Amino acid sequence: MIECRNVSKTFIQKGKQEVPVLEDVSIDVQANEFVVILGPGQSGKSTLLRIIAGLETPTTGTVTLDGEPVTGPGADRGLVFQGYMLFPWKTVLGNVEMGPKLCGLPSNEVRDLAMHYIDLVGLSGFEKHYPHQLSGGMKQRVGIARAYANKPRVMLLDEPFGQLDAQTRIFMEQETERIWQTDKRTVIFVTNNTDEALFLADRIVAIEGKLPGRVQRTYTVDLPRPRDLTSGTGFTFPARPGSFGTGNGVSPEPR
Amino acid sequence: MSQEATCNAAGSSIANETVGQVVDRGPLSLGRILTNRWFLHTVSIVAFFWLWDWLARSNVLGGGSSALARPYEVLDQLVVLAHEELAELTLWGHVWASTQRVVIGFSIAAVIAVPLGLFMALNRYVNAIVKPLFDLLKPMPPISWISISILWFGIGETSKVFIIVLGTFVPCLLNAYNGVRLVEPELYDVVRMLGGKRRDEILHVCFPASFPAIFAGLQISLSIAWTCVLAAELVSARSGLGYIIVQGMNLSQPAMVIGGMAVIAAAAWGTTLLVTALERKLCPWKRKIVGL
Ligand SMILES: Nc1ncnc2c1ncn2[C@@H]1O[C@H](COP(=O)(O)OP(=O)(O)OP(=O)(O)O)[C@@H](O)[C@H]1O
Ligand SMILES: [Mg+2]
Repeated sequence: MIECRNVSKTFIQKGKQEVPVLEDVSIDVQANEFVVILGPGQSGKSTLLRIIAGLETPTTGTVTLDGEPVTGPGADRGLVFQGYMLFPWKTVLGNVEMGPKLCGLPSNEVRDLAMHYIDLVGLSGFEKHYPHQLSGGMKQRVGIARAYANKPRVMLLDEPFGQLDAQTRIFMEQETERIWQTDKRTVIFVTNNTDEALFLADRIVAIEGKLPGRVQRTYTVDLPRPRDLTSGTGFTFPARPGSFGTGNGVSPEPR
Repeated sequence: MSQEATCNAAGSSIANETVGQVVDRGPLSLGRILTNRWFLHTVSIVAFFWLWDWLARSNVLGGGSSALARPYEVLDQLVVLAHEELAELTLWGHVWASTQRVVIGFSIAAVIAVPLGLFMALNRYVNAIVKPLFDLLKPMPPISWISISILWFGIGETSKVFIIVLGTFVPCLLNAYNGVRLVEPELYDVVRMLGGKRRDEILHVCFPASFPAIFAGLQISLSIAWTCVLAAELVSARSGLGYIIVQGMNLSQPAMVIGGMAVIAAAAWGTTLLVTALERKLCPWKRKIVGL
């Protein structure tokens, strides 16, 4: 459904200095698949997601969505930002209504869609709250509802729970799974957390640690859902992301 | 607490994420009264007036006509001014004269400078044309224009309004400009990802995001407007609070001078409250700053 073909990105900083951020990244994502891009900090994960979103253009390579090349941002892809990026001047309802409104839906449909997704992320009763009145976890729920409200073909989540404490984070991961099961969509989820990747992913794309980011290995995670976060999945978590052993249900794909 | 527990058990997912506030209401004690905010406010105000009165009584700043007026003398003087006319106007007339100049000058400046600042931030051609002129005129203190404006416009209303417009133009424009410049760029990405166009970015991000900065500019402008109107009135006027102060000086009546000063402060405060109220109405999302 989504194909990244040999995507490379080099930023040019302060006039001349070239910073290669991504090199030769190729990823295939099937419809309704939950793909996690796993890599340490500063490995070009956000850049890759922004390229798929159409907010950046790749230096070389192409991204296609259902066969059509991605040339710019659009409502068929929903992006959840690393730093929430809610509109502080809008209420929860106003934030979630934004997408359908910009897409020109009639106002009663806009309201229904927004209320539906606010309910789905568990924020019923908080419609009139402003973002500064919400906790971090609730803010990211708004971010998720806002992206979902446009019914995008792909959801792109960029370390959505990176700023949350461990407990809220685990809780939000369970919520993410629940929301995904309720409203099935293709998901590309970026994280630097191995546990998070193992809990959520159908497939894990491990990105190499140092710039430029490359795909190190792809793993299929064939564990039954919902998975258990506390009792362990049967293998030890590797110190370096991407260097999984071949534990129960996790198997590297052939290169 | 038990409420929260049942909520959690029932699967309400966010109860544990809301932040509650508990107000501690202990019994009244001497210590609590002594550290109460309002009690301390009262103490400092009373101490101020007592010190003022003491300084006036003991003629520290000289006796006779140059003496510091005592608080009740100032109050007396204001009551007299409120009833008797000075240059055909009562105190209220003078307050209105000054306020009118401030409001007209401030409004003209805001209506021109705020949109211009927004345009400068949004369009680099507008910026390239306006910025050098603006930078050239910016460091010039508005009060330095008084003489030339009297030569151009005479001593009527126009010259005073002109000074106020000049003085308030700069902060209005600068704040609108910076307000747009400091918008988090990823918010534009949000709009574009949700299906918005350039027009939506400006309408839904640029304008609302720069509101707080614009209002900060308006507040600064307002206090500058009062400074300007006072300066203009001190130089030449037949009405206004500056005129009362000049008359007090000419008649050697310190009570009248201080009274005029106090009324200016009150009027400036009043207009500030109006702008604050407008801001509250238009930006309900702005976090209240506690303690100030
Ligand atoms: N617009 C840009 N211009 C120049 N350099 C950039 C730009 N965007 C990103 N970079 C550089 O690309 C590198 C990778 O950034 P990116 O945000 O994609 O990494 P990341 O894996 O998402 O990191 P993190 O885990 O901290 O979110 C960084 O070193 C950054 O300096
Ligand atoms: Mg990132």
